[in-house]
This record gives sequence, C-alpha cells and structure tokens, in this order.
Amino acid sequence: MTQAEIKLCSLLLQEHFGEIVEKIGVHLIRTGSQPLRVIAHDTGTSLDQVKKALCVLIQHNLVMYQVHKRGVVEYEAQCSRVLRMLRYPRYIYTAKTLYSDTGELIVEELLLNGKMTMSAVVKKVADRLTETMEDGKTMDYAEVSNTFVRLADTHFVQRCPWVPATENSDPGPPPPAPILVISEKDMYLVPKLSLIGKGKRRRSSDEDAAGEPKAKRPKHSTDNKEPIPDDGIYWQANLDRFHQHFRDQAIVSAVANRMDQTSSEIVRTMLRMSEITTPSAAPFTQPLSSNEIFRSLPVGYNISKQVLDQYLTLLADDPLEFVGKSGDSGGGMYVINLHKALGSLATATLESVVQERFGSRCARIFRLVLQKKHLEQKQVEDFAMIPAKEAKDMLYKMLSGNFISLQEIPKTPDHAPSRTFYLYTVNILSAARMLLHRCYKSIANLIERRQFETKENKRLLEKSQRVEAIIASMQATGAEEAQLQEIEEMITAPERQQLETLKRNVNKLDASEIQVDETIFLLESYIESTMKRQ
Amino acid sequence: MAEVKVKVQPPDADPVEIENRIIELCHQFPHGITDQVIQNEMPHIEAQQRAVAINRLLSMGQLDLLRSNTGLLYRIKDSQNAGPVSFFLSKMKGSDNQEKLVYQIIEDAGNKGIWSRDIRYKSNLPLTEINKILKNLESKKLIKAVKSVAASKKKVYMLYNLQPDRSVTGGAWYSDQDFESEFVEVLNQQCFKFLQTKAETARESKQNPMIQRNSSFASSHEVWKYICELGISKVELSMEDIETILNTLIYDGKVEMTIIAAKEGTVGSVDGHMKLYRAVNPIIPPTGLVRAPCGLCPVFDDCHEGGEISPSNCIYMTEWLEF
Repeated sequence: MTQAEIKLCSLLLQEHFGEIVEKIGVHLIRTGSQPLRVIAHDTGTSLDQVKKALCVLIQHNLVMYQVHKRGVVEYEAQCSRVLRMLRYPRYIYTAKTLYSDTGELIVEELLLNGKMTMSAVVKKVADRLTETMEDGKTMDYAEVSNTFVRLADTHFVQRCPWVPATENSDPGPPPPAPILVISEKDMYLVPKLSLIGKGKRRRSSDEDAAGEPKAKRPKHSTDNKEPIPDDGIYWQANLDRFHQHFRDQAIVSAVANRMDQTSSEIVRTMLRMSEITTPSAAPFTQPLSSNEIFRSLPVGYNISKQVLDQYLTLLADDPLEFVGKSGDSGGGMYVINLHKALGSLATATLESVVQERFGSRCARIFRLVLQKKHLEQKQVEDFAMIPAKEAKDMLYKMLSGNFISLQEIPKTPDHAPSRTFYLYTVNILSAARMLLHRCYKSIANLIERRQFETKENKRLLEKSQRVEAIIASMQATGAEEAQLQEIEEMITAPERQQLETLKRNVNKLDASEIQVDETIFLLESYIESTMKRQ
Repeated sequence: MAEVKVKVQPPDADPVEIENRIIELCHQFPHGITDQVIQNEMPHIEAQQRAVAINRLLSMGQLDLLRSNTGLLYRIKDSQNAGPVSFFLSKMKGSDNQEKLVYQIIEDAGNKGIWSRDIRYKSNLPLTEINKILKNLESKKLIKAVKSVAASKKKVYMLYNLQPDRSVTGGAWYSDQDFESEFVEVLNQQCFKFLQTKAETARESKQNPMIQRNSSFASSHEVWKYICELGISKVELSMEDIETILNTLIYDGKVEMTIIAAKEGTVGSVDGHMKLYRAVNPIIPPTGLVRAPCGLCPVFDDCHEGGEISPSNCIYMTEWLEF
C-alpha cells in the first residue's frame, strides 16, 4: 500500500466511522494481518474498543478474518475495499437510473449498513419512501420487495456468506471463528418471504391513518414477538456488478463519440445480453449471433436486419477494434473485445492528461511515440513536424513527468553515450500506475481542503444550525411571522453570503472527488485486466 | 635527263599539322580514339612526334585523356560539353593540380555537396591546404557553401550553379534553414477543416451507414488537390508532403486512416493501394483528474499537509473555487 493510498483510507475511515475505527483500520492496512491482542497492544487502545471497531469494519466488509493453525484468528484489512467508499454516490446514482427511487434507497441502505436482512431493508425503505410521499399515501412493502427481487436477479445485490448448518452436532469445542461459505448458485436466491405491510410515517399525526393504527397495533406487537422470517440471511451490495455496469457505460459512450447513436445502442444491446453470461474479468464476451442481437434490440429501434448487419460490419472493421467478428454462423458471430476497449480508454485518459497538462503539441508527440512504439529524437521531430528545439524541450518535460521513458541500445560493449541509440517509448502500464497514484493523492488533497474549509467556518455553521433549530421549534409552537423574521436576522447578510460560498465550495470539492474517482475507475480496471492476462 | 630525286616529305610533318589532324580525328570519333587509330591514320609519323603532339594538345586542354580497358583514349574536349572546366582551366592554366583535384571531388559530389573533412580524406591533402584551396575557389565563384539543415554548423560544398538537394535544405518545410512552423500549422488546420466538412455532410445525408461512412472518407489525392487549389502555399507541394501533414493530424488524434486496395489505374493510388482519411471525435471527454486543480499542479510532489505548499493553503484551489 502506497503512502497516498494509506492517507486516503485514513481520511475516508475518519470521515465515515470516527477516530477509533480509523486508528485500528489504518494500523491494519499498514501492518497486514494481525491477531486481536497484537492490534490492541500496538495501537494502545483497550481490547473492548478494538473489538467494537473490528465489528464495525467487518460489518462493512472492510476487514476479513482468517483462522490460522493453532487456533489464532488474524484480521486483515482490504485497502482497495476502503477506497471503494469514494464510489458510493455513483453506485446509488446508478441504482436510481435503473430502478428509480426505490432501487436507489435500497442500495443506499445496504451500502450504509454493510449487511442487512431483506425484511429489514424493505421495512426501512418503505418507511423512508412513505415520508417523502404526499399525505395519505403509503408505500406498500410488496412494491419494495419486487424491486429488491429485481436487483437480486440482475446480480446487483448478493447474499453474504453464512455459517453452514452442520447436520451432526459437533461434540468438540466450536472453532474460534466461524467459517463462512457460500455457493455460486445460492448467491442470488431470494428467500420466499411474504412481507405484508405498508410504510409508516415517523409522526403519527395523520388523520387518514387514524383508522389503520388501531387495527395495526395489535398486529405489530405480535410481529415483534415472531421471529423474523429470514433471520441469518444477509444481503450486501455486489460491487463487481456495479463496476461491470460502469465499464459497459464507458464503452458505449466511447462508441457513441466515435461513431453514431445507433452503433452505440447496438453495442449496449450486446453488452446487456452478455451481462450475466460473461464473467467480469473475461477479455472477450461470449460470441453473439447477429440474429440474436436483432431480436434483442430495444423496441423503439426500427432498423432492418440488413442495416443492422451493415452496422455490425462497420463496428467490426473500425480501427477502434472494440467489436470483433469471430465466426459466420447465425448471420455472423460478434464479440466485444473488453480488454482492448479498456486499453483504449486508459490510453485516451493518459493522452487527455498529457494534453491538459503540457499542451496539444506535447499530446501530438505523446500519441506519436505511442503509435510508433520506439523512436529516436530526430525521427520524433520529423514525424511530428515540430521544430527541433521545441520538440526536445517537450520530450524532456514528459520524460521528467514519467509519461515517456528512454530505452538505451548501445552500439559498443562500453556503453559510451556518443555511440548509443536512445529511443523514446511509452510503457502504458507503468504510466497508468503513476497516474493512479497521482489520483489518490489528489482526492486526499481535495478531502483535506474540504475539511479545512468546513473547520474554518465552524463557528458560523454552528450559529446557523442553532438559528434553524430555534426557528423550527418556534414554528412547531406556532410563533408569529415577526418573531420568525427577527430570529432569521440573527444571521447577518455577509454571514449569509459566507455560508453560501461555503456551501458552493464544499459542493464543488465533493463533485470534483467524484470526477477524479471516474478516472481512478478506468485506470484500475485497465490495470486489473492487464494483470489478469499476464 | 637527270632524275630529280624528290624526297617526298610527309605532308604533315609539321607539328601543328599533326595536332590538327589529331583533332580532326577526334571530331570524327567523339567517343574517343586510341593511339592505334592515330597510328593507322598517320603511319608515317614517328611515335615521338605523335607523343609530343598529343602532350601539347593535352596541356592546352583540347584533348581529354581517358583510360579504358583497352588502353588509353583521347577524346576531344569541345567547348559545349567542356563547360566550366575548360573555362576554369582556361582561367587558371598552370594552377595547382591540387585545386583541380579538389574541384573534381566537389563536382563528383553532385547536388548533395561534400563536407570539407570528406574532401580531405579523398584527396589526402592537409587541412590548411584544403582551406586555402576552398577559399580560392569560392572567391572565384566556382563553388559555394550551403548550410545543412541537419547540423547547422556543418557546411557542404557544391558547384556554384547547382541546386542543393532536398535532404540538405529540408525540402518544402524549410525556408533558409528555418523550419516554417506557421506554414505547417496553417496547412494542418486547412486539411482538418476539409475532412471535417466532408464528415459533416456525410453524416447529414442520413443514408444507410455504409454509404455514410464511405463518403466521409477522403483519399490523400483529394486532399492534395484541395490544398493545391486553395493556393495557400507558394511552394509546390507533393502528395508525400500532404501525407506527412495528414500524419500529424493522426497524431493529434483528430483523424484516422485506413488503407484500401485500389486498382492500379485509379487516381491517387500508389502501388495498388490508397490511403483514406476521416475526421473523428475523441472517444472520451477530458478526464476527471484534469478537472481538479491537483491534476495540473506543477508543484504536486511538494504538496503535503503541514508544509509550505499544502491543500489547505493551495492558491490554485482558492482560485479554482472562486471561479
């Protein structure tokens, strides 16, 4: 774990869970897997607190445990999983676009709570939705359950591993830590629950619900005594599936930018068809025949079979090489080249950073060296049509930024510089890693700045919060307009201005964190895909 | 009757006569005559007289001495194809053989010119001599020095009235050893605009996708014709020049190229294939990292919390937040 990653993890843990969890978490990330007592000893916190902190971390899937020989249980933190916390807003937004508000709230609850049972999720979401609805309307549990089932079917949520039920009672002592297992086919199996009920509002002062509560109250009391039907079956959000979705989105928008809307729709259809069938790390999707694609096109698209075939041929011939033709049966079998697509996206990211940082002429040189693999100084000048002095300057700037590297080819056994060829080359993998590291540090900087801005204006924020609380309580007790105005004027105009600026800045910094996270996603996917191929 | 013994003297025993006869012979055989031919023509002349005559002609510069695999050849040097050399020799008769040698070497180098060190190697003359000779020749306006565009300190010498070769002057992109960046930029933009409008019209035609794509392509020949007609270049540009410009557009990421097989006869095809170019859009918008000030920060490596440069007091961030 690099320093930048550790710094970022510490900031995230502190922001979301507090000081103690942060201390334990960072200690685990730094030192790898350790048993309980060692953690307590090294961090100087009491055993009790360490246990609580570990509970929190395990609940959120940030720490795994393992039983070693001699019965020692060691805990290990997953740094990459901690960094995923940056991406929570994106996951929630995706769920919203796919399954509207219900889906959004389900995913939000699951992410915030780590693991939950289905019934608990459904109840909570229904309550929340009911609060936002108009008076008199409530959210039915059935609707929420339906959305939940759909999320499970498309693999966006999955079951957590559980303790296998042992048939024979084990006479020996129970193991120090439970071994959790899960089988592939059980991962998305929704238990048969009959959740009947409606969402409740927090304030029970609804006139329409007056008739209901009396009938409901006895039922509720009995409900609390009954065991929850799906006790022990916990669900968590399946982050890999979300990542697959983001990757598909990136590919589709790249195709839309390079070609036209219809081609991107065709690619989207192909990706949708291979969602469940292709494992997320595969370099190619399963081959799809053109007939199948034609049948699965969205209903609104009335293009004839020949036009579809033409589009597919165009996609397969395009220099981008996202789509490839793998056979001719069934009207032509087409695959999507996922690894190549990720590579192109990562390369485009690198080029974009070089362009913004050093200028478009540098970007020209960068792309030139990328395409030609190895070039001498003189050749770079000739191909790029840039005067020698400027070309030299730009190459050295990029060299010191580690985007370009030098390859020496000696002519003589003593590597005399005057008799050696020096070739410029781009190593995409190492440049991607360098950029990724920079992204982590940038996000850490942005978070720090945000915290700094908030701390600077702490006094003002507290004041405004107090004023709001006073106004709310006064409104509840029915105060007059004049009194309310008086209270509001406690916050002067420049202070209001300051608050506005603060809010705008914090939003801007927040949004920027999410944008940098998009870059992180592309680079990480590319690096992962390349490492798997090797 | 007394018999007068008339000694028939050979009619051209006179040396001048011999020379003239030899010259006439040379004229008859412009490719050169061997000693044998002269002997056959004038059998009565002794070898000595022949040799004298030939030497005189040579030193006067009217004959050329060449060696062939059969022997020595004498060729007339008439004023048309003698050119500057006879002019030169007539100017400096009796001058150094060294100068002649150097001049010969420079002439052989043709229009690529030759470097002074190479002249030294070929003639085995010491450096000081070479420099003196070169200065002499230059002042007599027989040779000139041309600065090479590759290494600006290096001077190559060539004959005065020769046009330097492209590799020395750099071709169409250089004027007086200076790289014409603005010219290249203007051409760059013009080509791109042409390809862009072509792609636009193709997209708006809304026919079936194959035709749309094929009509958005332009061959290098079309672009070349367009640029020639535009008339923005005072120098004549060839198709290869246009292709180098189009290549820079590819490296800018604005254009993509495919090569298709074309029949030999079609316009613009080279060796049976044609290069087609098309304007394209970038596949991703500017990436997230560069939208934050940290992505472009020049002092990124020095920045850490608690230091002189830190996120809390970063001036770039302050400016960016005020935007």
